[in-house]
Amino acid sequence: MSDGTNPLVFKIISECKTTRARVAKMTLPHGEVDTPVFMPVGTQGTLKGLLPEQLENLGVQIMLSNTYHLGTHPGPEILEKAGGLHKFMGWKGCLLTDSGGFQMVSLLKLAEITEDGVKFQSLSDQKSEVMLTPEHSIEIQNAIGADIIMQLDDVVKTTSPNKERIEQSVHRTTRWLDRCLKAHGKPDIQNIFPIVQGTLFQDLRKISAEDLVQRNVRGYAIGGLSGGESKLDFSKVVNYTAPLLPKEKPRYLMGVGFAIDIIVCCAMGIDMFDCVFPTRTARFGCALIKTGQLNLKQKQYKKDYNPIDKDCSCSTCKTYTRAYLHGIVTMHTVACHLLTVHNIAFQQHLMKSIRESIKEQRFPEFVKNFVNELYPQRDYPEWVTSALKSVNIDLTD
Amino acid sequence: MKQHLWRTTLYVVQVSENLCLLLTGMKSCISCVSVQDPGDLTQPGHHYKDYVPLWTRSGKILLNSDKYMDIIESFKPDMYYLLSDGDTNVASAQKRVTKAVDNTINFVNKCLERHKNSTILQNAFVMAPITGGYCLRSRKRCLDELKDKELIDGFLIDGLHNNGPEVEFLTFAEIKDVIDLVVKDVPDNKLLSVQGCWNPVTLIKMVQKGIDVFDTSYCYIVTERSSALTFSMDKDSKMQAYEINLRQLRYADDFQPILPGCECLTCTKHSRGYIYHLVAVQELLGSLLLTIHNIHHFMKFFEKIRHCIAEGTLSELENLVTKQFDEYQDEIMQGKEKKVLNDENL
Ligand SMILES: [Zn+2]
Ligand SMILES: [Zn+2]
Repeated sequence: MSDGTNPLVFKIISECKTTRARVAKMTLPHGEVDTPVFMPVGTQGTLKGLLPEQLENLGVQIMLSNTYHLGTHPGPEILEKAGGLHKFMGWKGCLLTDSGGFQMVSLLKLAEITEDGVKFQSLSDQKSEVMLTPEHSIEIQNAIGADIIMQLDDVVKTTSPNKERIEQSVHRTTRWLDRCLKAHGKPDIQNIFPIVQGTLFQDLRKISAEDLVQRNVRGYAIGGLSGGESKLDFSKVVNYTAPLLPKEKPRYLMGVGFAIDIIVCCAMGIDMFDCVFPTRTARFGCALIKTGQLNLKQKQYKKDYNPIDKDCSCSTCKTYTRAYLHGIVTMHTVACHLLTVHNIAFQQHLMKSIRESIKEQRFPEFVKNFVNELYPQRDYPEWVTSALKSVNIDLTD
Repeated sequence: MKQHLWRTTLYVVQVSENLCLLLTGMKSCISCVSVQDPGDLTQPGHHYKDYVPLWTRSGKILLNSDKYMDIIESFKPDMYYLLSDGDTNVASAQKRVTKAVDNTINFVNKCLERHKNSTILQNAFVMAPITGGYCLRSRKRCLDELKDKELIDGFLIDGLHNNGPEVEFLTFAEIKDVIDLVVKDVPDNKLLSVQGCWNPVTLIKMVQKGIDVFDTSYCYIVTERSSALTFSMDKDSKMQAYEINLRQLRYADDFQPILPGCECLTCTKHSRGYIYHLVAVQELLGSLLLTIHNIHHFMKFFEKIRHCIAEGTLSELENLVTKQFDEYQDEIMQGKEKKVLNDENL
């Protein structure tokens, strides 16, 4: 565990000699996390019906939970009384919580953002308005007690052309960070990560990163992406922003979870990822495989007696066939459960392969093999080719 | 009373869909296939000559003896129930009861013929249904026709109800005559089974009469109402409520296990408050944790029943459980009365 005075120790173990990818051990109050890491999302203090020990068995070291949901139910008072979310849900590993702002902006239509905070209409009472301020967000996150907590940020849609508004959001995000840090009640056991904003404007990303880097924090997030921008724009922003952040601290790219995106962003120096995609797609009957995903609802699997992935060592692949999963996928909740187990195992395996290839100095080969398996015709999307080229991997070799 | 039959009181795990993953070592467990799911109401009143309707999530399936035996052969169970027409209950007309017996005899004969010629099912344990609703004459006719047939290892007293949660409130007095008749007539060396969500009080009474095998559908209906079984089986232990309902606000900040001292996975790792939260936000894990506890408690209950039979103390257990069950029912009724009064005052 961390040494008491420092709730986050980030120790780089290996660095790729070609790209900016690195492997590190991040020590948090509730344990160690091997990075690059993918964090599955357990919104309401549980992950799609999986028991905490099932997650442990899958090798999950850190999980993400949502402040907005937990703040509504069971609420900060109950969580405080329970001794935090770890104890409340019986999870021994590490936790990260978001600020709740993004959830509100996306779930509640009438959100209005002012200098005070994010204002929205209460779900329970139509007439009353509720304000989520930076202080309030931190107060709830202190009650939840996650190892890493996020500042409340001013999010602008990445597709917005209004540069003036985006610039405002950059400066406001910094001001809100200072308010969050001031309100933080448990700095010796919880780490606040600031969030770099600025959508697709490099100059604004630079201002944002430079402002935030001056604050005394132990890790940084890149926010405001994965919001409908093109993959080319997305990868350019990550490529530009990541090196603006200190090398000796973890970099967290919010809301990214597709295998190819993770691999490319690891090459650019990102250490942490999260996304609802692997668990959400399981609910729709889809299983992740290297070349994309299998929709087990399709008739072609009716008599397919292979496992989802013959190389996968998860309990689902060891026990059940595609035909069986096809048979139960539309009717039974257990199918969602089984696919969730596989999809988390898939993400875990992907991250482990990335870490091992970096440690063994064969990450560039790993990336090329992965991309060639995904695009056997060598018809790579432009963004993949150019993004990898920017970190010295040339797919045309 | 046939004491020697008590010792075999078995416990049949109904493979709940949520539990497939958790019941590791399922392969080493004895499997038993029944026609209907005793936890869900079987829609009554749909009759087809030579067919039994099975209501599945993808619609109605009509089973005749051949189709049914095809399924049984593909499942290769250790034990199975022969196809039966159990669509009778306490209110069934005589005509329906007579028809149910005719159909059942016909199904059993055909299924046995298939069983005899099946190499796959050679070692499977065969349970034959006895139907006839609440008409003793019809029950007797069914019994006389089937009780001495070869290949039958045991009998299911079917046709007492249409499955589902209502079975919890059927009283033993209502079924006593049918049970007595079957138990008296069936050869001593045959296993006896009754299906359905019977409450523990009625279960003990059936065990006392010599019924050996039941199922866990009771746990399922208790879980469905977000409740946990907490009745005490030991008069020296601290008395708990018969059942607690995790939807009640009082459990929101209660961080004890469902049943202090219980050794199930739910009680060793999770609190009432956490389950209250999961149930409130409709997360799947809530009913999963309740299922784990309820099945564990029910298993313990049957363990206790077998132990009491061996010690000759089953009636003490009966009194203890009955007291708790009755108190709980009174409490619920009073709660309802209060609510009615309040509603009237409005
Ligand atoms: Zn798998
Ligand atoms: Zn328990």
